[in-house]
Amino acid sequence: MNLVFSLAIAAIMGAGIYLVLSRNVMRIIFGVSLMSAGTNLLIFLAGGLQEIAPPVIEKGEEVLGTASANPLPQALILTAIVIGFSLVAFAAALALQVYRSDGTIDTREMTAAEDLGTPFTTGGATNG
Amino acid sequence: MLFVILLLICAGAALLARPVLLMGGRFGAPLLALAPLAAFVLLARQQPTIAAGEVILASYTWVPSLGVDFSFRLDGFSLLFSLLITGIGTLVTLYAGAYFAEKPRATAGRFLSLILLFMTAMLGTVLADNLVVMFLFWEATSLLSFLLVGFDSEKAEARKAALQALIVTGGGGLALFASILLIGLSLGTFSYTEVIARSDELVASPWLVPIIVLMLLGAFTKSAQVPFQFWLPNAMQAPTPASAYLHSATMVKLGVFLLARFDHVFATVPWFGATLVIVGSLTMLVASFEALRATGFKAVLAQSTVASLGILVMLIGLNGEVAVVATVGFLITHAFYKAALFFCAGNAIHATGEAHLGRLGGLARVLPFTALAAVLASFSMAGLPPFIGFISKEYLFEAQLSSGWNAIPVVIAVIVNSVMVGVAGIVSIRPFFLNRRRTPKVRHGETPGLLIGPLTLALGGIALGIVPNVVAVTLIGPAVLALTGIPVDVSFSLWHGVTPMLVLSGVVITMGVLLAVFWTPIHIRLRRRRILHGLFGDRFYDKVFNGTLNLASTSTRILQNGDQHRYTAVVMASVVVILGLGLLLAGNGAPISATGPLRISVLAVLVLAAVGAIATTLTRSLVGALVSVGIVGFASALIFLLNGAPDLALTQFAVETLLVVILTAVLLRLPVKREHTRLPRERRRDAILASLFAVFVFIGAASMSSAPPDMELSLFFGANSYLEAYGRNVVNVILVDFRAIDTLGEVAVVAFATLAAWALLRRRSTPTKPAKG
Repeated sequence: MNLVFSLAIAAIMGAGIYLVLSRNVMRIIFGVSLMSAGTNLLIFLAGGLQEIAPPVIEKGEEVLGTASANPLPQALILTAIVIGFSLVAFAAALALQVYRSDGTIDTREMTAAEDLGTPFTTGGATNG
Repeated sequence: MLFVILLLICAGAALLARPVLLMGGRFGAPLLALAPLAAFVLLARQQPTIAAGEVILASYTWVPSLGVDFSFRLDGFSLLFSLLITGIGTLVTLYAGAYFAEKPRATAGRFLSLILLFMTAMLGTVLADNLVVMFLFWEATSLLSFLLVGFDSEKAEARKAALQALIVTGGGGLALFASILLIGLSLGTFSYTEVIARSDELVASPWLVPIIVLMLLGAFTKSAQVPFQFWLPNAMQAPTPASAYLHSATMVKLGVFLLARFDHVFATVPWFGATLVIVGSLTMLVASFEALRATGFKAVLAQSTVASLGILVMLIGLNGEVAVVATVGFLITHAFYKAALFFCAGNAIHATGEAHLGRLGGLARVLPFTALAAVLASFSMAGLPPFIGFISKEYLFEAQLSSGWNAIPVVIAVIVNSVMVGVAGIVSIRPFFLNRRRTPKVRHGETPGLLIGPLTLALGGIALGIVPNVVAVTLIGPAVLALTGIPVDVSFSLWHGVTPMLVLSGVVITMGVLLAVFWTPIHIRLRRRRILHGLFGDRFYDKVFNGTLNLASTSTRILQNGDQHRYTAVVMASVVVILGLGLLLAGNGAPISATGPLRISVLAVLVLAAVGAIATTLTRSLVGALVSVGIVGFASALIFLLNGAPDLALTQFAVETLLVVILTAVLLRLPVKREHTRLPRERRRDAILASLFAVFVFIGAASMSSAPPDMELSLFFGANSYLEAYGRNVVNVILVDFRAIDTLGEVAVVAFATLAAWALLRRRSTPTKPAKG
């Protein structure tokens, strides 16, 4: 089972990387979204997948039974899901605003910083 | 207390220099000169104690855990150096006050402040007993030299020379620091006093070779020895008072100081002395050759200073007590005449505005006292009797003849001293007495402030020559005692009878006079040889310097070309390379094996997720890509649900739905049709990168999941959730109880992201089109 999990995670991660390498801002955002989904699954896999009962302490018991899923990765992933969502939502808002002001979602055309000029205008280092 | 008072006097004067000059007017500089004078008197009063063979030690705790204390040591040698530093410092302060008389007082104040700070650093260097403390002061002198060389900061050459001096001496300083650390590693102490006491242990240390090599690097860069000699002539961009003080009388002698200090420690290492003799001799030759080619007044003096430093280094390398006496004697002699000559050069340049030696002439009519001082000082430099320089040169030859070396150093010394005689003639006779019709327009004559320095030093040179035993007994004897550890009978006198040394002196003076007479034709002929240009100059330094800058700008242009795709690709490629290296180096450390039963439902969902992810990369429309991203998200929610994580599934469903809604809303406002933003070539390369990354992720994830997870923390949470936090849902208890602060942070992130998104998206009354350019 763990090998199938690993394969799926690798596919999601690889697709995410490929998208992040794009110049289209929306594709980059999709890539980030995929990578965070892949990371969540990776953390999930790290906790072990032998037990599949929810980690809830039974009525009358005082400690978690040994037949429950690992609670620690779940707690970490819960945080990660929400953070990943915030990041992607904010990035999408940013992309929309950039499109409104610059009229493009292609990073090659976002040149406000480059238009300020370069420190190497003389075409080579000069001594002194 | 002595050391603290000394340093406080100098540092305090440095702090007060500007206000004193601003308020004191023309009395400002003399007032300030009282501070180095007081230090000089304070030091001179220690002379009887030191001459009796005592060593004054004092220590103040600083970082005891590292063995670094403010410990100081005053012995004969450091006393001699301190007296030179404060004595010439007094004269330089007076001189600089007059030199900057026409400049704004704030400028003069800044200059004097730097000079006095430099004096503090110099005193600290020669007085420090703890080698780390000495290094701190040593670096401070490099830094202040940078500020003083580049004092005319609006001149590009001055800035360049300042940077060069800093890079060369600062780089050497780092080597010295490494050497000091190795000494500390070998002996467990940084105290110089202990180092001499345990020198046999140091010589037996396995680090001996690196210690010596690094120390030599530090000393050779500071004292401008071959192949680092080029920075000193360039440093003549400094205002003349600084040149006289830093680059002839004091700072450049720090390397000599260090070598003399450690010569005794490394006495049993034969190649230490041999290296010094060879490097010193080479430096002497190169510098005297360059002196013949130099055109500027100060440049000629600078080259002769380099030659003198070479003589000192060579003398330290020679064995025998006579060599030590000769070293100390020449140190004093050189400080006297070279500082005086720099002062005279400064007067000539200051008065005429002309720094080119060939264009100066007949200045004796307008600068009579300067001419007198120049003649006296240059006679001492030429080694004529009855000046102190004569005695010093006799000792130089005696040290060479009595050492175990062959005749080559003697021949070199004869040549170099002849050039010195020639230089002496060229810098004193020619600009002041010959070429009368070349006399340039003189802007202003001599003032008392400009004369007191050169006259004191030049007359001091003749006084020391006439009664040499005074200085021999009071200063040179104790200094030699401090360096050799044994009392040496130092008797200086002008007349030794007809000795081999006297014969050599005669040869030197004859050759030197010939050189001075035929200076111009030799000079012109040497300058015409194009091949000589830059042979001993800073061409190599420039190559390294510009090469570094070009490398930086080229790599910046390649890596930071303004294309976001390139940035991400570089980052990803680095990650892939590091992951690959890590896997390669791990070898078979992480075996992969299948664990857990294969469940069809989970398998189906995982396949769905993988297909969705790959579809995202293949679809041409953004909406299609969004759908595929949604599939991956919902699939992972299902996986959570199927593996005992209902909380995660619930959250993932909610978030994914919200995300799809938001992204759809955004996409509705964007152009849907997607054009390729990457060339086919780029897409192929990216696909390879992504595939490699995926392969590494697979190997990593598979080997990670092959081993059983560490359950320690999970067991802790499982055992304590109910008993301590009274919650049965362990995941929730972890989030809101055990890691409550973390969750608070997460909530804050969501809140800030919402705020920021709202600020971005709210309608503005005016469109915000940023101005280009």
